[in-house]
Amino acid sequence: MSYENKMMQLKQMLGKKKEQPKNKPTFQKPEKPFYINEWQKAGLALVENDFGVLFKREVTYPFTFQHGFYKLGLFFDAVEKWQKATVEHPYAIHIDEPVLFFDTETTGLKGVGTNIFLLGLLSVEEDQFVLTQYVLADPANEAAFLFESKFWQQSKTIVSYNGKSFDWPQLETRWTLNQNVLPKLRNPRQIDLLHSSKRIWKNNLERMKLTKVEEEKLGFRRNGDIPGFLAPIIYTDAIKSGNASALMKVLYHNEWDLLSLVTLYIHSTNLLLEGEWEESATTYTNIGKWYGDLKQPLQSEQVLTTVTENYQTEEAGLAHYYLAFQQKRNGMVEEAIKSFQKALSFVNNREKLKVLEQLAILYEHQLKEYERALHYTNEGLQLLESQSFIKKDQQMKYVINWTRRLQRVEKKLKSKI
Amino acid sequence: MFSKKRTIDDLLIEWQYDEQLKQNIVHWQTIEATPARYSKFPNELHPSIKKALNKRGIEQLYTHQREAFDYAVNGKSFTAVTPTASGKSLCYHLPVLQKILEDQSSRAIYLFPTKALAQDQKADLNDLIEDMEEEILSYTYDGDTAPAIRQKIRKAGHIVMTNPDMLHSGILPHHTKWVSLFENLKYIVIDELHTYKGVFGSHVAHVIRRLKRICAFYGSDPIFICTSATIKNPKELAEKLTNTNHELIAKSGAPVGKKTFLFYNPPIVHPTFGVRRSSVLEVRDLATRLFEAGIQTIVFAKSRVRVEMLVTYLKSLTKNKIQDESIRGYRGGYLPTERRAIEKGLRDGTIQIVVSTNALELGVDIGQLQACIMTGYPGNIASAWQQAGRAGRRQDSALIIYVANSTALDQYVVNNPTYLLGSSPEEALINPDNILILMDHLKCAAFELPFSITDSYGEFEVQELLEFLQDEGVLVKTSSNWYWMSERFPAHEISLRSASQENVVIIDQTVPAGTKVIGEMDTYSAMTLLHEEAIYLHQGTQFQVEMLDWEEKKAYVREVDVDYFTDANLAVELKVLNEDKTSQHKTASVSYGDISLLAIPTIFKKIRFQTHENIGSGKIHIPPLEMHTNATWLSFNLPENWSEEMLTDALTGASYAIGSFIPLYIQCDRNDLTVVPQVKSVHNDKPTLFIYDSYPGGIGLSERVYDILVPIIEQTIGHVQNCPCQNGCPSCIGAQDSFSESKQKVIKILSILLNEIG
Repeated sequence: MSYENKMMQLKQMLGKKKEQPKNKPTFQKPEKPFYINEWQKAGLALVENDFGVLFKREVTYPFTFQHGFYKLGLFFDAVEKWQKATVEHPYAIHIDEPVLFFDTETTGLKGVGTNIFLLGLLSVEEDQFVLTQYVLADPANEAAFLFESKFWQQSKTIVSYNGKSFDWPQLETRWTLNQNVLPKLRNPRQIDLLHSSKRIWKNNLERMKLTKVEEEKLGFRRNGDIPGFLAPIIYTDAIKSGNASALMKVLYHNEWDLLSLVTLYIHSTNLLLEGEWEESATTYTNIGKWYGDLKQPLQSEQVLTTVTENYQTEEAGLAHYYLAFQQKRNGMVEEAIKSFQKALSFVNNREKLKVLEQLAILYEHQLKEYERALHYTNEGLQLLESQSFIKKDQQMKYVINWTRRLQRVEKKLKSKI
Repeated sequence: MFSKKRTIDDLLIEWQYDEQLKQNIVHWQTIEATPARYSKFPNELHPSIKKALNKRGIEQLYTHQREAFDYAVNGKSFTAVTPTASGKSLCYHLPVLQKILEDQSSRAIYLFPTKALAQDQKADLNDLIEDMEEEILSYTYDGDTAPAIRQKIRKAGHIVMTNPDMLHSGILPHHTKWVSLFENLKYIVIDELHTYKGVFGSHVAHVIRRLKRICAFYGSDPIFICTSATIKNPKELAEKLTNTNHELIAKSGAPVGKKTFLFYNPPIVHPTFGVRRSSVLEVRDLATRLFEAGIQTIVFAKSRVRVEMLVTYLKSLTKNKIQDESIRGYRGGYLPTERRAIEKGLRDGTIQIVVSTNALELGVDIGQLQACIMTGYPGNIASAWQQAGRAGRRQDSALIIYVANSTALDQYVVNNPTYLLGSSPEEALINPDNILILMDHLKCAAFELPFSITDSYGEFEVQELLEFLQDEGVLVKTSSNWYWMSERFPAHEISLRSASQENVVIIDQTVPAGTKVIGEMDTYSAMTLLHEEAIYLHQGTQFQVEMLDWEEKKAYVREVDVDYFTDANLAVELKVLNEDKTSQHKTASVSYGDISLLAIPTIFKKIRFQTHENIGSGKIHIPPLEMHTNATWLSFNLPENWSEEMLTDALTGASYAIGSFIPLYIQCDRNDLTVVPQVKSVHNDKPTLFIYDSYPGGIGLSERVYDILVPIIEQTIGHVQNCPCQNGCPSCIGAQDSFSESKQKVIKILSILLNEIG
């Protein structure tokens, strides 16, 4: 047990503290790291401010710059589409709204011991897009690094991929640790494209990794990219050895992430606002459902109806299913029943059970056609007993409810006769 | 027909004339009632608090509650020793609530050793707050807390009730999310202080040091309030745990009713071997008598199995009644709703007997009962008093019956009632200096906040240790600071409940589709308890180890039902690494220091229950394990006319006996310390008795043994002499196979040693 042996040696070094007066030192500018020259040679610019040093890399792109399927300038078209659109949507960007595409690289996954070592910002200027990457010179120079990001000053809308639950809280953590020297961090609006991607491509894309979305949807494939999980090791090595060549690859990785955020926004907007109908029925059904959840019934119905009209019934089962609920809510009983019936054969058992339940309810309470109600109730019970797609204890509860319905419908049927 | 219901006093008079019962009662003692001592409400006490207290019929405070309030208001950390049902929670609720009412931004952390206790206390506190009609938010924060309300707790919770494990891995490493808590933290309440001992306590001592470090970062300097059951060293323990000076409130002002203690020893049924009737059966009979007299009783048993056995036995008393709930079991793992139901049943009298493991020993509120039966000695005085404290409603008489098992400690206690009733209780020891535990938490601390190159940590100078962590690759040093620079999340790699680097996970594969982890064990114990073919007892169920994956530290077990147990042999080589203290006597010496221990498992035997015959054996295939720990050792010369062989036998028996008695002095489990005799020790070629901490790095137990070795040996001799067996039995020197004169030899060698060093 060499670890223990070492510990025993260390034990001899363990001293007990003598009381020492505690005086909080005021801020002292940290020393510069020894590798400034090497990092500059690798392509980074040195920045110095009141709190220390950091490194920076800047790249500009004309609006005509092509990234995958899209030119970056199409971002303005997307914003204009939102402007013209009649729907309200949490992902809409106002035409006067300043935006900042945002992505970080960190030394770990969580906790106060995780550092942000790269802040990647892509801003939209008058005549071009500007990428600014700030690199943490070393952990001692963190205040300088955070201060330079200007997040205390500007309050642009942040567009990110999982930034709402990861990057931004991580930034807040770092800010809190430096709160005695830094001005207060602002609390900008967040647009998280991971969330929208999950809504749009549920059951369509298996994994929501940004590189996967790029390949499948945005027509972009990376060449010579380093996988994101290596980033922490690379950074640690760069500050220990002073060699920044591998670190530059992390910067390129971050750059691609940011460029894809722009085209992902463009692509998502197109899917949400205009039916080009190039994607699968699943995608549009998801979008229709999303509008429904956002309390935009008209838009929801419109999208779902289009799916039912443009795709084969086998593909459109779920669209019929969601549409039926919309119709029922609007009091369109006949239409709802038709949609439920169409959905019946093309949805999973879980939804199928709900469809049968809805049909039974509609026939029993709305149309008072008890024979029909009885038919669907029996089918529901059969489905429940034949399949094991729900947990045992829940199944029991369902069976009890369905049996109750059966008895009630049978009673109504008898009294009617 | 006349009613059989009687009071405790009636019953006791009756029992005095019951010759059969009286034979087994070794000792009978009544402690007269003590009246309450009151103090006025403090002048500054907030009217809302007064209102809530008045509503509960409280018009004045007990003296200890008032003392607590005054210390807290004067900014002094303190520890209050409070028996069961003395209103201890007001010792901390009052100052904390007062502070919050004076300044809404104030915050407090309540630490409870378990989740369940925190949840119980929350209900209690919320009732109080409701009666105050004030907007004070208190929450439990643990693994069960819904993610949706976590944010709110972090930002707005005035009182956060949690446990050390959650603090260690869920709160401290994310302290930036708790800014409003740490900036305004006024009080840290540590309830059930006495449970923080040994490895767990040593870990928690570091969690507190990390907590204090973070408070200092945010500019707060909280006051500690600890409450403890009766132990010998509450102040010392609190100070060591919190690294803060404490005042002590030793005297409770709560009234105590008349208590009668009966020391009950089951009759001997096999005189030669000293075998006594099973304590479980005796408890069944005693509980039946109490049940029939209509006396509400709590029965404590040490294991789940015993609880179940007793419940089954006792339920036969009510088998003719339908849906009768008057006898209930209570084990760990009950849901809060079930607990509420039992509590309610006890209060309204529908439950008459509750049989419990020590789960009910801690602060869980079940109200007060009339009688308490302990099935066996719970292991230390503090626990015994906690259990006894469950009996005794304010003014009524209480009856406490202690029924002894046949183990050495139990027999000692039943035959020496003054030990339990009169003497001072054991010490609870922790050892924050344990280098392995310290390094674990130093990593966590470095993760949480960078160390500067002049920083210390708690009371420790750690710069060289930080250097070591840099070499390990988890820290980076800049001109001024040490920074954590690793993807790892150190708190997840450290469990507060164990000192070992690695534990063996025990996996039950009885149901092939439903394999589940049923426990874990430190690697050292695993060598003799989890080798292949071992019979492993888990909560009374027998399992056989089918496969031991030593590399991966996994033991796969299957439930079996066999009539034997296994006993493994471990060859132990002990080397003295470093001698910290030593005292020379005529021809003997006692020393304390670091030792290295090489444990080599050899063979195991299968031994049949009851007859103890050997019915098979096998080889154990586990590589030797090296462990560094602390030890106290006693070296002496081979006495004249003793052969080495004679000495081996005698020392083995002596070790067994000594090992049994250490828990009389130090609050620890019998297995926390190991006593190993060596006829020729490697370091000085002399016969030596080693007493070492069973955990890597040591937890401070053997260091204490160094100081109290003489009384331990004295005690041991006395007990072995007084044991009624002829040649030694499990109650004194361990079971003996031969009819040799082992017992006399053990007494002799112990006397020689005592003579040498006494």
